[in-house]
Amino acid sequence: MSTRIFKTMEDKLGLDKFKPFEKTHLKIKQGINAKELVEGKLFVCPAKVYELNEKGEAIVSFENCLECGTCRVAAPDEIEWEYPQGGFGVTFRFS
Amino acid sequence: MSENEKFDVIVVGGGPAGLTAGYVAAKAGLQVVILERGDFCGAKNVFGGIFFTNVLKQIMPDKISEMPVERVVTKRRWSLLTPDGEIAGGFKFTKYSEEPYNNSYTVIRAKFDKWLSEKTEEAGAMILTGATVDDFIIEDNKIKGVKVRMEEGNIYGDIIILADGVNSLLAKKLGLHKELPKEATIVGVKEVIALPEEKIKDRFQLNENDGVAYEYFGYAAKGAIGSGFIYTNKDTISIGVGATIKSLLEHKYNPNDLLEYFKNHPAIFPYIRDGEQKEYSAHLIPDMGYDGISKLYKDNVMVVGDAAGFVNASLFHEGTNLAMESGRIAGETAIEAKRKNDWSSVTISLYEKRLNESFVIKDLKKFRKLPKTLEHNPQLFKKYPEIMEEFVRDMFTADGEPKNNKQRRLIGRLLKKESIFGFIKTAFAARRVIL
Repeated sequence: MSTRIFKTMEDKLGLDKFKPFEKTHLKIKQGINAKELVEGKLFVCPAKVYELNEKGEAIVSFENCLECGTCRVAAPDEIEWEYPQGGFGVTFRFS
Repeated sequence: MSENEKFDVIVVGGGPAGLTAGYVAAKAGLQVVILERGDFCGAKNVFGGIFFTNVLKQIMPDKISEMPVERVVTKRRWSLLTPDGEIAGGFKFTKYSEEPYNNSYTVIRAKFDKWLSEKTEEAGAMILTGATVDDFIIEDNKIKGVKVRMEEGNIYGDIIILADGVNSLLAKKLGLHKELPKEATIVGVKEVIALPEEKIKDRFQLNENDGVAYEYFGYAAKGAIGSGFIYTNKDTISIGVGATIKSLLEHKYNPNDLLEYFKNHPAIFPYIRDGEQKEYSAHLIPDMGYDGISKLYKDNVMVVGDAAGFVNASLFHEGTNLAMESGRIAGETAIEAKRKNDWSSVTISLYEKRLNESFVIKDLKKFRKLPKTLEHNPQLFKKYPEIMEEFVRDMFTADGEPKNNKQRRLIGRLLKKESIFGFIKTAFAARRVIL
């Protein structure tokens, strides 16, 4: 087969236009086991916003959020989700 | 802003539903403000997709020729994707290349919704961008307006039209609907891939302005409950895949990995070869159907578009037209309420009555069994595509075996994999929800 046009998630998100706000609009609620949550549910995020560091703590890269709401629906009891500040976040140009 | 300077209509969300509601109301002379959280209308909006313009034509017949569209959808095709190939069928009609172009176009939402917002402003509506609405203003047990997370702060109005999309936190706040159900909420991911115009026309066998809508069922989402799509724009291709959140959780799939699988499937890859990726997006689709639509109104409030759950996820894949029709009817209901000076549910209930008479509710009702049928027949997404491929491939394999022998042998083998009862039951269930 001819060349595939794979791109890493990082490169893909690099195509999109983001204007991140200073504060996160995505929070994991207090007292939730982050490792279980990310491995059990939040892996479905299309932008892979939620990842674990070596210590098993959740890293929430809200600046890459595509604002779809998947994490909110996947983990409604564990996530605090709001829309980002108006005028911030992702801007789609070709979709 | 004080209550003395209140609007007749506050629309939350500048997508097709909200803009249509705003356009219709403003055109009739009502004071309308539309609050959009993006930098412009369209900045946050994502669809497959086809924009169906029947309602647009009805409300602004003189503007139709200015629409910023990509291609006319003249060719549609449905494919049952199998792990190694596909079995497909579809149509291409020259009639659709002529007026009124079947009211079906591919569009770039960043351009199209922005254009629609300009027309809505010309009709007299005020549009505030960068305005995220967090809550309602409630005074004396009545909803009097909305709270915006910006300097403008409180905005007062007689009616609030919630057009804030699939994640309608505001409708949820009012208890008009519960949280979106995992088994009937689809997350769609999409890439826009650039290719020279000539290549697109050659690959999809298209005349000048014609375009395609290709939908992929069966194994498109690697066995998860979902489907894939390809739509042609002028010099880009929209390609994507969607699956229910529940199914993704069960299969431990990330939607982007499914998209990569789909793009590299042998039946798909030739369409996008040598393309240049331009954008990656994700969006939820409310797939609950008729039984999952939200409560549509209360005193001083109406819910329209995706926020209400107006998506026809059957073979027809319609959404934008349902959004616009609900927006149109909401706009007209607002005009009626203004005339009577009654914004309570006594008058606002007209919205639901009129919607019930429209194609929006009638079509949703027709396909009301769809979400449950898909949910309860996972064999449609893996086992059956595999069986179908085996049957068709073997029947067409040129090996000198007489066709009658082949058929008997194959049917025998298939019935070992699935009972005749199972086949018939699934076939009936599927047919009822497809056409």
